[in-house]
Amino acid sequence: MSSLDADLVIWLNGLSGNVKIFDDLMRLIASDYLMPLTFSLAMFGLWFSGKNPAERVKYQITMLVGISALSLSNVVVWLFNISWDRPRPFVEHGDELNLLFYPPTDPSFPANPVAVGFAAAAAAWSINRKFGWWMFAAASLFGFSRLYAGVFYPTDIIGGAVVGIVVFMFTSYLRRFLEPLITSFVRFIRGLSAA
Amino acid sequence: MGTDPETVRDVFASHYFLFAFLASLGTLQIAVANSGTRGLWLTPLRVANRWLGVALILSGIALFFLMPLWIEGPWADGSVQADSISREWGQARWGELAGARNVNDIHGGLDGTKQAIWFPLAAILAFVVSALTGAFSIRFQNRGGSPATETGSSPNEGGLAGLEKHSYFATLPVSLREFRVEIGGVWRTGLQAADRWSLFKMIFGRSSN
Repeated sequence: MSSLDADLVIWLNGLSGNVKIFDDLMRLIASDYLMPLTFSLAMFGLWFSGKNPAERVKYQITMLVGISALSLSNVVVWLFNISWDRPRPFVEHGDELNLLFYPPTDPSFPANPVAVGFAAAAAAWSINRKFGWWMFAAASLFGFSRLYAGVFYPTDIIGGAVVGIVVFMFTSYLRRFLEPLITSFVRFIRGLSAA
Repeated sequence: MGTDPETVRDVFASHYFLFAFLASLGTLQIAVANSGTRGLWLTPLRVANRWLGVALILSGIALFFLMPLWIEGPWADGSVQADSISREWGQARWGELAGARNVNDIHGGLDGTKQAIWFPLAAILAFVVSALTGAFSIRFQNRGGSPATETGSSPNEGGLAGLEKHSYFATLPVSLREFRVEIGGVWRTGLQAADRWSLFKMIFGRSSN
């Protein structure tokens, strides 16, 4: 499994260096700013997107759950990191990889940015299937770009995706413990004419 | 690296804030154009708001990623492909632009926590700008005799629903009044309707009657 993981990242990263514009596109997508901001904007946009008050409340509560899931995903990734310090692909196979990104210093498994992206996508999917699929596609593209850049193994990406989705489901479940606090919070924001 | 991480971080933070502000303003305009929340429109026309929103998002992205061409930072000629620790200060070249922003947070890039602080601030500023501009936009729509707006009357409901036909400033007092009147009831009925595992229900009792 580990060998297959390494073979896949070496093969995929081996495709780099042939088409510069594609490598540059992957560098932009892999950036710490473009896709994370896209996920944040999607949640910000959904907050204002409901067409009637009932739909708005549903969207806004789901967005609050989604934001909580993003935060919790980071905690879960950190727990994995302190229990298994998996080296990055470029550390173990540096001579076989063409690194397109800066070398991160934190452990490889699970992919933190992918976990965050999938948690946001799961939140969007739970209220709007079509938009949610686009978000899943964006999160997958983000993961692919990091894989192509040589900073994650495929299993890190899959692990990150599973963490993001499971944490969102868990956070949705946890919501029952915090009602009516969450609804009251949305009402408070509504009191400021922003919900 | 020629410069300490704090200086790099300051450069990234200001650029990121501008990026997040423009993109948030654009996203907000698309969202409120679709939902008909006229009180937050930058222009009186729905279709114009949508296109303005798209333009603002694209401008934010373009500005953020093109800025290294004319603003000095840790992306000098020839250093962008190097590890972020060994980069030199200066302007980037076209050929290396895609990797210019890829700087490790330990060398001055913005980590997730910093972004989680700057993004909400940018989003709030985008909302404030939309609310201020929306007040003028609503007035302009009313002057044009548009039946969709009722600036002369006070809103019937608060929140974003009130902003569909009124400015933020007309809606805010109604929203605050509704909040004061409703919050007690929301809490009481919420407690009654809450799941039996609600921590608040356990603390405050199953029924507040």
